[in-house]
Amino acid sequence: MRRNPRLDFSCLLATLLSLGAAAESKNPATSPQVISAAEKEGKIVIYSTTDSAAAAPLLKDFGALYPKVTVEYNDMNSTEVYNRFVSEAAAGSGSADLLWSSAMDLQIKLANDGYSQEYASPEASHLPSWAVWKNEAFGTTFEPLGFVYNKRLLKPEEVPQSHADLINKLKASPEKFKGKVTSYDPERSGLGFLLITQDARTDPAFAEAAKTYGKVGVKLYTSTGAMMERISSGEHLIGFNMISSYAIAKMRKDQALGIAYPKDYTLVMSRIALIPKAAKHANAAKLFLDYLISARGQDIIGNKAALFSIRTDVQGETTAATLTKQMGSSLKPIPVSPALLVYLDQSKRLEFLKQWQEALGTK
Amino acid sequence: MRRTTPWLRIAVVLITGCAVLLPLAIVFYQSLLDAPFFQPSAKPSLAAFRFVLADADFHRAFLTTAIVACGMTILAVPLGSALAFLLVRTDLPGRKWLEPVVLIPIFLSPVVLAFGYVVAAGPVGFFTLWTKQALGGAPWNIYSLGSLTVIAGLTHIPYVFLYTSSALRALGADLEEAASVAGAGTARIAFTISLPMVRPAILYSAVLVFFLGFEIFGLALVLGDPGGLLVLSTYLYKLTNRLGVPSYQLMAVVAVVIIAIAFPLIYLQRRLLGVSRHFVTVAGKGLSQRPLRLGPWRWLAFGGVLVWLAGTVLLPLSGVFMRAFVSAWGEGVRLFDVLTLDNFRELADYPNLVRGVLNTLGLAVFGGALAVAWYAAIGLATHRWQGLWTKVMDYLVMVPRGMPGLIAGLAFLWVFLFIKPLAPLRSTLFSVWLAYSVVWLAYGMRLISSALLQVGPELEEAAAVAGASAGRVNRDVTLPLIRFGLVGSWLLVFMIFVREYSTGVYLLGPGTEMIGSLIVSLWATGAIDIVAALSVVNVLLVAVGLGAALRLGVRLHG
Repeated sequence: MRRNPRLDFSCLLATLLSLGAAAESKNPATSPQVISAAEKEGKIVIYSTTDSAAAAPLLKDFGALYPKVTVEYNDMNSTEVYNRFVSEAAAGSGSADLLWSSAMDLQIKLANDGYSQEYASPEASHLPSWAVWKNEAFGTTFEPLGFVYNKRLLKPEEVPQSHADLINKLKASPEKFKGKVTSYDPERSGLGFLLITQDARTDPAFAEAAKTYGKVGVKLYTSTGAMMERISSGEHLIGFNMISSYAIAKMRKDQALGIAYPKDYTLVMSRIALIPKAAKHANAAKLFLDYLISARGQDIIGNKAALFSIRTDVQGETTAATLTKQMGSSLKPIPVSPALLVYLDQSKRLEFLKQWQEALGTK
Repeated sequence: MRRTTPWLRIAVVLITGCAVLLPLAIVFYQSLLDAPFFQPSAKPSLAAFRFVLADADFHRAFLTTAIVACGMTILAVPLGSALAFLLVRTDLPGRKWLEPVVLIPIFLSPVVLAFGYVVAAGPVGFFTLWTKQALGGAPWNIYSLGSLTVIAGLTHIPYVFLYTSSALRALGADLEEAASVAGAGTARIAFTISLPMVRPAILYSAVLVFFLGFEIFGLALVLGDPGGLLVLSTYLYKLTNRLGVPSYQLMAVVAVVIIAIAFPLIYLQRRLLGVSRHFVTVAGKGLSQRPLRLGPWRWLAFGGVLVWLAGTVLLPLSGVFMRAFVSAWGEGVRLFDVLTLDNFRELADYPNLVRGVLNTLGLAVFGGALAVAWYAAIGLATHRWQGLWTKVMDYLVMVPRGMPGLIAGLAFLWVFLFIKPLAPLRSTLFSVWLAYSVVWLAYGMRLISSALLQVGPELEEAAAVAGASAGRVNRDVTLPLIRFGLVGSWLLVFMIFVREYSTGVYLLGPGTEMIGSLIVSLWATGAIDIVAALSVVNVLLVAVGLGAALRLGVRLHG
């Protein structure tokens, strides 16, 4: 079918114009005092686990909106964010003005230990109530954890639709799945630990699931890259608790990968932003936080950075709105709350790991 | 000769001592506490030692690591020395262009190198799939302990090569000539004259490679994870996570244990070297070297070198290169359907890429040269100086590498945070440079030490008798005589700086991006295709640069 190019162009123009008008109203509602104080500070230092390439569209747009505030963006892994921040805080020397990390438990620990400052963001009312804790820790994304599988080697009917279905399929063909299932290692990866404890809490058949993972010899890794690459190559067939935002970014280039969200329950994680008490550029940090959760920032998070926007009033493919339409109440966001601290208790944590290893049969 | 107090020497030793001991002292102190040392609640305690030493995972990791370290030393030292002899002292075909190729495994990030092996020879690697098609099965498993050890051994050959070849280049030809005149064949000359004469270099490299085995990380992470192999550096991940928040005291204990291993090693090394006069090969009269003839063995030796190159360079590199030019790979993929240049296009758009490459090359070239200057100063300071200081120095240079990368990174962050006079330097490239130079101190310096052992005293004495000052003797006599050691040291440091990452991770910031840090952050999000593309660019840049430098170097010195 041939389309009329002129028609396309006018369509595009209309879309652009409406987008422009919409962008105006989507701007963050930061108070003029904070804006002018931030512009006087002129700079913000961010420690983040979101890699520079994914964050680039956000930083660019922020720069266009507030050209007087330079962003110093440091991306590192979640342990590094924590280590670096607590060390620098203890030394009383310059550190980050904003911490933005996917290690939800460590972020809450920092807030709970009194490292963060309160900020009643004018944008926070647009976030779901589970995503804000004490106006100190703010969930900024809505990233479902799914099954990522190899499309070449798993037929559509072989793709599990729920956690129970996954376990049944593993049990039904143990030969096919032997050594071919993968996930994060809860012993070596903080995120892996967080997710598996959420599974244990949510899935009534978790004990059975863990035993089955053990039987098929689940392969446990510390990095997303290592897992997705091996699923794509066919060395593994399927991974559970995979971060969908990374998977979707990879699926755009790699036809071999598919993603399925379990219908019984789909965990959702959120990158948490907080402003340290000792932030040198606290107003700039407030400005950035407002931007991050504003409709304008969330639009970019959802539609350009593929991180899934958390605001329900933002539309697009990778947004909470669309996901909720598809999945309804099976979405189980991990609340930004002190409940995350439970397993930072040493004895509880070691006890859980022991049970996990016993269930897997590795101990 | 010199009766005055050698203040300059003492100063060099003291500065080096400070640079080495500051991070170590923090780590040691941390290992004896029950909480992060900077927390007011931290109390002295041996609990961390009790926890780690009683941990079954630690025992398992230690044993695996010891096996890998022994295995790779046993493999790398003889093969690396033989390779050096063939490339430096014989008429092996193609030896000029082989050298930069031989060095590739050093400057390629071990994670990428290991990943190359997975793409080529992993369970669904292209080489494995071909073999399966042809033979019905592939009889290897690259995720086994055996494979990890062999791959570690083969990829550490270049270190031994660099050490032995630098020493062989400085070997006076008189003894070899004499043996040749007396009718000895090339093999006999190699085993009875050339290689025994460069024993210090070989011994140093053996100790250093063994020690590298304890720090091995990238290879173990990629090749060890699927089989559940745990080595000390991946065990540190467990310690980071097991108690929820990173437990520095537990990690520090692991570093202290590894450092403890260094002491008997160095003691052994000192005993084996004994009286250093035995190894003087640069004496008053020198004969220029002529390549020894391999005769009919020439092509066989060439074949042997090619086989090693195929296994150590071609195999993993073909995996990396292939990955860079496809969008998917593995079981059920036809390569022609997935060929693409997109990975390079995407790489070109990556933020700060050019700056990262320039920073890395700048730090490697100039920082490397600066590090070598420092190492040379240490070498000269302890040269012909038998005393307690020299002995202390022998032990000191080795210990920083006892800190695995994850801990070294933290230790240097703490140095620049808590040692207040150094704090202003934290966000400059100097901090990164210092961290790298200290951690790799032994590796760069030993090349210079072994070169110094080869220099006979008579030339320096002659200069001194003729009225030259100590500085002048160093500048005009000693330094030119150890030029191969200096060049070798610079090469090694250059390549290590190109791929180093974890030591500087807490000191890098916006504006100081490095290739290593780009690779790690891309890897974490799963953008392995771009990592592969970046590695290809990296290999081409460095190999071409090295090739040119070596050519130039050969002309300058030859």
